[in-house]
Amino acid sequence: MTLSVWAYSESDGVANEMASAAVELSKSVSGSATVVEVDQAREGVSSAGHKLVLKSAVRLGESPELTAEAMFRAAKAANPSVVLVGATRRGRETASRLAVKMKVGCLSEVFRLSVSAEQLRGERNTYAGKFLSTVACKLPCVATVKTGVSPRLADNTGAVEVLEVGDLVPRVKLVGKTGKKTGTVDLKSAKVIVSAGRGVKKKEDLVMIEDLARSLGGVLGCSRPLSSDLGWLPEEHHIGLTGIEVRPNLYLAVGISGQLQHIAGIKDSKIIAAINTDKDAPIFQAADYGIVGDLYQVVPAIKRLLPPR
Amino acid sequence: MRLAVCVKHAVDESELRADGSGRPILQGAAAKVSTFDKNAVEEALRAKSKSGGEVVIVCVGPPEAKKTIREALAMGADRAIHVVSDPAGRDSLATSYLLSKALAKAGPFDVVLCSEGSSDTYECQVPPMLGEWLSLPYVGYASKIEVQGAGAKIEQSLEDSSQTLEVPLPFVAAVVSEINEPRYPTLIQIMQASKKPMEELAAQQLMGADAPQSAGTVVDTRVQSMNRKRVVIEGAPEESAQKLLDALKSEGVIGS
Repeated sequence: MTLSVWAYSESDGVANEMASAAVELSKSVSGSATVVEVDQAREGVSSAGHKLVLKSAVRLGESPELTAEAMFRAAKAANPSVVLVGATRRGRETASRLAVKMKVGCLSEVFRLSVSAEQLRGERNTYAGKFLSTVACKLPCVATVKTGVSPRLADNTGAVEVLEVGDLVPRVKLVGKTGKKTGTVDLKSAKVIVSAGRGVKKKEDLVMIEDLARSLGGVLGCSRPLSSDLGWLPEEHHIGLTGIEVRPNLYLAVGISGQLQHIAGIKDSKIIAAINTDKDAPIFQAADYGIVGDLYQVVPAIKRLLPPR
Repeated sequence: MRLAVCVKHAVDESELRADGSGRPILQGAAAKVSTFDKNAVEEALRAKSKSGGEVVIVCVGPPEAKKTIREALAMGADRAIHVVSDPAGRDSLATSYLLSKALAKAGPFDVVLCSEGSSDTYECQVPPMLGEWLSLPYVGYASKIEVQGAGAKIEQSLEDSSQTLEVPLPFVAAVVSEINEPRYPTLIQIMQASKKPMEELAAQQLMGADAPQSAGTVVDTRVQSMNRKRVVIEGAPEESAQKLLDALKSEGVIGS
């Protein structure tokens, strides 16, 4: 039996990442790769050679529950060995529900995948990124795959197969949607990020940090207390385990002590620099360059040395 | 309203140390209620204060997990179910199965709450799996939950948007940690927690014909090396600012 690998994500960009991961895995065992879509074939999503579009009388795309059921119905006939789902917030529900339906294991947020005739292997960050686990699951299995790691496949050639999955009844009703103002902050693709933490004494002082970020050609981020407990910045600025994971060329942490959950979100940065009054703050263990000093003196000093923007 | 909250006895990741080979010393490692689970308990307590009813804590964990359950009871929950099961070799599929069986046995519940993921392994799979095992609607990443009559209106926080969803009771939801600020139990509450009812169930009691085998395994775990330069810059603000900028320029991460 040849191994078949399915790839799915409700996000176009992540779907292309899953497609490349599926192609790579299937190549290693001379298997096949299929990109699964629901409702319709999206133009911007690669096919990996074969695209399977699942349709029902109701729209499936908005509902991870219905998407999982549709994939389960299709899987009964096609018997995929591995189903890769992008580890997005909705993708996690799709994958988890599908695994229970199929009564198979599900690996979580894995990367550096490999497959044999018996099992899927991958690596994942654990214990707030302090440790790295190698995990395995016997086939068939489902896995959510870490986003932003695999290249995005751009090859929309190949056969498109449409499959009617039958009736489905939605239980969760979408009654409203508001886009976050993503145009104002794009931390995921930023080359320079200057982040503020608890060391900033009042909300008004964030202007100073944002000013520095702009002078360095970067954007403003923050640690969890500022977006969550204090509510000084919207949630999309929050960098860390439960926020956004970033990998800029320069990450400058200003007044951030460096809790594990925060480090988990920045550890793939090329260079990490920190400014903190406490020389024993854990951020200095995770930084390439650390200034032990008062941010209220150091930040204006840096600003004065930079050309005006 | 009958509310259940699933809590995990999680390894305290900040205390976790590596042995000589870089592997975590899990034997005897400090453990506590998973950080974000406190937000789920808090949310259930707030719902109870509005509509009455009871809050039941459900935990699948080793005998030591009683400590975690008591932490949740001290916050104000009414009673607890402890499914005694060793976490070694148990994957999210098996954990969610045991939780679903315990919930079915102790229920029915109108609302089952979890947190988005555990603070130690953060796999984020048990909550949606629970929805599937119980054949219930599920809403993850809930930032606001309002129960109204036979349903609830839930704000869901996604990567690039927020959604407003309507869901009928009963349902399973997982909350984000931004949803609330968990309360600290008082000394009296901590003392009273040990007197609250805690039912113990053996994992084997709950295994039905549909029980899954754990399929996911951890092959190895090693500490992540943080290969950072750790250059400490000291001195007057102007001087250290100049040193930092020089260093960042020579690294090529800022323009010169």
